[in-house]
Amino acid sequence: MAHPAHYREAHPFIFVMTHWINLVSIVALTISGFYIHYPFLPGLMSVARGMHFFFMFVLLINLAVRIIGAFTVKSATRLGSREVDTDIKNWLPQKLNRGQMWPWLKYYLFLKKEHPIGAKYGVLQKLAYLFTVPLTLAAAYTGFAIWGPTMDWGFFIAGTDAVGGPMHMRIIHYYIMWGFIVFTAIHVYLANIEGTDPSKLIFKWQETEGLQFDAEGKVIGGKGH
Amino acid sequence: MAHEDHDAIYDLLAARGVSRRDFLKYCGSIAALLGLSQSFVPEIARAVNQAARLQPAVWLHGGACTGCTESMAQLGTPDIATVVLDILSLEFADTLSMAQGEDALAAAEAVFEREGEYILIYEGAVMKGFEGNALRVGGMTGLYELEHAAPGAAAIVAVGSCAVDGGFVMANPNPADATGVQAYLEEKGIDTPVINLPTCPMNPDWVVAVIVDVLLLGSLETGAILDKLDRFNRPKYIFSQTIHDNCPRRGHFENGNFVTEFGTEEEAKGYCLYKVGCKGPQTYTNCPIVRWNRKVSWCVESGAPCIGCGSLDWVDVGAPFLNRHRDLPLPNIGNTQPSTIAGVVAGVAAAGLAVHGIGMKATGRTSGGAPYEEMKERDRKRMKKGGGE
Ligand code: HEM
Ligand code: HEM
Ligand code: SF4
Ligand code: SF4
Repeated sequence: MAHPAHYREAHPFIFVMTHWINLVSIVALTISGFYIHYPFLPGLMSVARGMHFFFMFVLLINLAVRIIGAFTVKSATRLGSREVDTDIKNWLPQKLNRGQMWPWLKYYLFLKKEHPIGAKYGVLQKLAYLFTVPLTLAAAYTGFAIWGPTMDWGFFIAGTDAVGGPMHMRIIHYYIMWGFIVFTAIHVYLANIEGTDPSKLIFKWQETEGLQFDAEGKVIGGKGH
Repeated sequence: MAHEDHDAIYDLLAARGVSRRDFLKYCGSIAALLGLSQSFVPEIARAVNQAARLQPAVWLHGGACTGCTESMAQLGTPDIATVVLDILSLEFADTLSMAQGEDALAAAEAVFEREGEYILIYEGAVMKGFEGNALRVGGMTGLYELEHAAPGAAAIVAVGSCAVDGGFVMANPNPADATGVQAYLEEKGIDTPVINLPTCPMNPDWVVAVIVDVLLLGSLETGAILDKLDRFNRPKYIFSQTIHDNCPRRGHFENGNFVTEFGTEEEAKGYCLYKVGCKGPQTYTNCPIVRWNRKVSWCVESGAPCIGCGSLDWVDVGAPFLNRHRDLPLPNIGNTQPSTIAGVVAGVAAAGLAVHGIGMKATGRTSGGAPYEEMKERDRKRMKKGGGE
């Protein structure tokens, strides 16, 4: 047992909500997306498209809320600490992340025995989370480019022509779904492989005890010290 | 005078078995196609009637299967469109002309001399390969014929996908280096306006509608035609909605009633063809409205999924015709469906995670992870170098 304490300050309640909404939207969009791609059961097309067209807006509004929250809500600067600062500072690379990319890679490749020091999140984790923002925007762009009411807007037509027509736009949209699937698989795996405390916090907003860290990333106490 | 004109055209039509009523009805459908109200019908009828004295038209062939001529002429039983086109003084057509050889070419040449007066209808791809020798006409290359005819034309109507962008002739691997009329003329710096009418073949009613619009209603002269063209120089009144928008099977699509295999009960019931590769959702033409074969039917109505022949690069983008997505050409592997590629990549990722998980278990990290490092590696290195605080 050498994992950090998980305090509510790490994920203020609004981010617990945005994460839930994100999860539900992505699952709904993926299931309906698969169905639109190839209707595997009879009778559900209008349900699938209705679901898809509803959750695409939910996903985008949720992203907007999350981004506004990033600048207006304070969250813990690191795991195992209740010290807070404006969330975006913790979300983007922090001082504690500096120089840690290679150690994290080695850790996950079993070339390093000790757990590298992280901050709010580790380096790879931050990169992955950061990646979800352009991925969501790309899903939205390619999605609106094949959506009846918006597909002939100049902004989307420019992209459709650039990729060689609506067939290619659809295929790109389809691949973005697979991008989400692969991201989510790795994300869920890494979030839970060393224990389910992180999930208890992000889903149930439930605190768990563990190591506490100082601003330099040194263990200064807590359960397991 | 006007009265005599009317008589003249109705006699002509009657001789081909077309009644006055049929003709006016036809003019009504042209008006509808052009987005004009039915009050324009007399004007269209009068315009067609006077057409013989307007610009002559010439119909040339590039690399083509002659399907568009076939679609237009439907020689067995001439219909109104054919008659109307006849009246439009088609002074030269490679395939249809009575005259042959030098006589025919001389007729064409006589038209080319009337600079700015004639309409050029071009069918087939422009084949640039083999130094233009893939097609030879009257001892010259097909390219020469086009370059010779294009500059003097008032406008060019590129009929069928081949003339628009090379069509099936330019499908991979495009041995003849085929392209469309517009692209070729741009390359040669010839700026005669080109109106594109894709699909394979083109629909005869569109040709008539465009000719009526451009020539007879004068939208070329006034420049109004330019506003009516989209970014691919296709008339918006024909190419702005998808097949799917106007499909009579759309109700089945919404209700999720699909044909999964041909020869089944679902097919007999006329269900939606989405799962068997219908490209209707991506194809912008008004086929369901204008219909084909003298309005008898059209692809989807007759039971075949739309293969997207009205799209650009339609063969490579639409094939395999019975699949929802096109194939992607992978180097060394060949044509592959996007879903196969996605499945393989995701499978590799999943297998990677499983193997990684076994490693995490074996190294005892699954219950809380490994112990934390005391300080970052790079700080440790710095301290070793003696630079530490
Ligand atoms: C946020 C914005 C999104 C928008 C605006 C959007 C919009 C659309 C639209 C309009 C369609 C076509 C539906 C039809 O033609 O009936 C579609 C299809 C699809 N969507 Fe989305 N979508 C979005 C996000 C997502 C996400 C996040 C996923 C998956 C994770 C996804 C997966 C799919 C799939 C797989 C298809 C079927 C594509 C095909 O095979 O043709 N979409 N989407
Ligand atoms: C069953 C599915 C999921 C589980 C178990 C899960 C678990 C978690 C956990 C435990 C965290 C917190 C990480 C930490 O504190 O160290 C987290 C954060 C995050 N997750 Fe998930 N997640 C799931 C689905 C998703 C999906 C589908 C997405 C988006 C596509 C997503 C995007 C994110 C993002 C962006 C964060 C950062 C949270 C923030 O800063 O607001 N997650 N997830
Ligand atoms: S048959 Fe094709 S165009 Fe018609 S509703 Fe089905 S998918 Fe759309
Ligand atoms: S329905 Fe589709 S395949 Fe048939 S002519 Fe129209 S665009 Fe071409």
